[in-house]
Amino acid sequence: MSALEELTGLASDLVNPAVLDWKGKGKKVVGFCCSYVPEEIIYAADMLPYRIRASGCAETTSADVYMSHLNCSFVRSCLQFALEGKYEFLDGLVFINSCDHVRRLYDVLRETVDFPFMHFISVPHKVSDGAVAWYKEELREFRENVERSFGVEITEASLSEAINVYNETRSLLKRLYELRQRENPPVTGAESLSVVLAGTTTPKDQYNQLLRRLLEELAEREGTSSYRARLMIAGSGGCDNPAYYEIIEDLGGLVVTDSLCFGSRYFWEPVEIGGDLMLSLAKSYLNRPSCPRMVDKVAERNDFVKEMVEGFKVDGVIFQRIRYCDLWGGQLLHLRKKLRESNIPLLSLEREYMLGGTGQLRTRVQAFLERMES
Amino acid sequence: MEEKKTLLKEVSDNIGFIRDSMAERYGEKHPEWAWVYELLADYYERACRAKEEGRPVAWVNFGVISELFWAMDIVPVIIDVMTGLTAPTASAIKYIDMAEEHIPDHVCSNNKVLIGAALAGDIPIPDILVHPSHPCDSNLATYPVMAEYFGFPYFCIDMPYFRSERGSQYVAGELKKLVSVLEEITRRKLDVDKLKQVMECSNMAHQYILKISELRQAIPCPYSSIETISEYGIVLSLAGTPQLADYFKRRYEWTRDRVARKEGHLAKGREKIRLVWIYGAPAFDLSIFVWLERQYGAVSVANMNNNFVMKPVEDISDYEKILRGLAEKVTYLPMTRECGGPWEHYLDATIDLCRRYKADAAIFAGHVACKSNWAVMKLVKDKIYDELGIPTLLLEVDLFDPRVASSESIKAKFDAFFELIL
Repeated sequence: MSALEELTGLASDLVNPAVLDWKGKGKKVVGFCCSYVPEEIIYAADMLPYRIRASGCAETTSADVYMSHLNCSFVRSCLQFALEGKYEFLDGLVFINSCDHVRRLYDVLRETVDFPFMHFISVPHKVSDGAVAWYKEELREFRENVERSFGVEITEASLSEAINVYNETRSLLKRLYELRQRENPPVTGAESLSVVLAGTTTPKDQYNQLLRRLLEELAEREGTSSYRARLMIAGSGGCDNPAYYEIIEDLGGLVVTDSLCFGSRYFWEPVEIGGDLMLSLAKSYLNRPSCPRMVDKVAERNDFVKEMVEGFKVDGVIFQRIRYCDLWGGQLLHLRKKLRESNIPLLSLEREYMLGGTGQLRTRVQAFLERMES
Repeated sequence: MEEKKTLLKEVSDNIGFIRDSMAERYGEKHPEWAWVYELLADYYERACRAKEEGRPVAWVNFGVISELFWAMDIVPVIIDVMTGLTAPTASAIKYIDMAEEHIPDHVCSNNKVLIGAALAGDIPIPDILVHPSHPCDSNLATYPVMAEYFGFPYFCIDMPYFRSERGSQYVAGELKKLVSVLEEITRRKLDVDKLKQVMECSNMAHQYILKISELRQAIPCPYSSIETISEYGIVLSLAGTPQLADYFKRRYEWTRDRVARKEGHLAKGREKIRLVWIYGAPAFDLSIFVWLERQYGAVSVANMNNNFVMKPVEDISDYEKILRGLAEKVTYLPMTRECGGPWEHYLDATIDLCRRYKADAAIFAGHVACKSNWAVMKLVKDKIYDELGIPTLLLEVDLFDPRVASSESIKAKFDAFFELIL
């Protein structure tokens, strides 16, 4: 089996073979909800950090008893899975104040599902010395809670090792993205998304081996040149379905990059290791390419999109967001203006977490492609 | 050529009109009904004059205390009060529609009114916009983006998710940074003695607010439903001013005497149902409160928004202590207290409010944009019933836009609700 096939397989199952293998060794798996959770702390405790998703969720009947239709369908899908017991393999869950929907998922889960370990990290909404100090203290409390609750010790050596492993992941994924800058990228957007997704649930040392193999394989792979436009996907979280990309790519658009938390923003910047590892984590996670929950990075966020557009020779940006995601919805006001100033075409799409309305999606993307070609 | 009328001027004129009408219609029998509007009208007239008088104007969110601004001679225009007062007018719809050309419809219409007005050039760009990171995404999503889009200074008071001593210190630090930013903008140092004077006024008003909140729990309720909700705007806008202290002194004496005489807002025996609004109120049509009183004898005795039961800033002996006190105050301001942080914050405040005011039913005027509240309403509703044995009416409304749920549809839901519970 090729590395790409293996990684795609790991991305497609909720409980993939790597998780089963991990559990089979009697080791713990700790779920987390947001890319602002420093996985390194969990990994350093010899536990598997597992970013929760609900791919394949077909309906949210049980979740809708608790949450409203005004809550985003990603969160309701996760609640549905939790209520159905699909996260029973998790030994704990970690949340942050990502957004109104996610923070309330934490609340509803506390009332409805009995997870053995739950922790909430209060992440600042802006970056300053005080905010970094606050976040560092939050991470210290998280680390202590993990140690206390699971009876483990997170040593400085294990934390340092974890950061190094994760930095290698970041570096390898960046190399994968660099290949997509080529005129004929050797991977499609859907394939690339699968590769990144696999990394959110697979032990990183194992994942890194697969990534190295993948990069070797891709060096030999003939790239694709039969596309109508090079596209970038921007916007809200929960964009974790390769089938969404496939619909776009079947129409001739090639997704060459993104600014998603299930994409480039997950790994773009390494953790700069200093003498104080917890400080390093706090600084790096707060300063990474941001989600709009960070209020002082509006311009930086849009600059990141523009840098991606230039670096990956993007012809147009698809800005997708799950309905009721205010954070990304508000961002649109400024992003649209900035992209228009640079003559970069933008398609704004609203969607639900479950893949539906595909006919409408095809029509909108087709029109977008035609607009760029004309 | 006729001068362009700004949103602020429109609000000012509307409030002035209400004040004059109230005085004309009810002035002899119920002069107190106009008190809030007198105060508001005077405040908005001042806000309109601020720029020509060379005073900076800050757009301030409902989660920020006004005292620091008044102490620095900056006029704080509470965005949400201004947009709320716009809600009954056609302008609100116009601005919401304009904003929706740029941002999604599910963003809060409170924010959309501001964005629409700014895009239309109908509101002067402020000297700064200030808001806390609580309680909702819609504020986080729009305020910083507006600042970037229109190019004005901006400050977010970062609020920790949970309440704690460490959190309180962090917020005090944020307020100190805010003062530095305000000093840069005004090119004036904060006069701590002036701040102390402002805090004295603030505390005086606040002591009366706390006493009044006790008195308002009386049966029959001495306050009208409209008065109960209307004071929210003046407390936010004028905290720290002598005008507010004077208002609440008068209001306290009036309420105290009324309770002593066992007089309610409704005629004797007419108060049938006590409603506690545990979230918001349809700002586009407050006459629903009057309809409830007349139709059902249902008095809206308390409202989450006008529930200023946090402690006053007790120690105002030095700057640091004032900031610590204000940090506490910011943390416990209505809406921030309920909607920021874990759901227990909302539940505890709601149960407490319903219990203290002896509610027969709770009303959740669930603003469609307030996703965090909707996310836990099933849990809250069940707990209210379990702990207090009272029902909760859930209304899906846009508090600023009657196109989501009209006054008539809201009244129909009340009809059905009362049919069920009475």
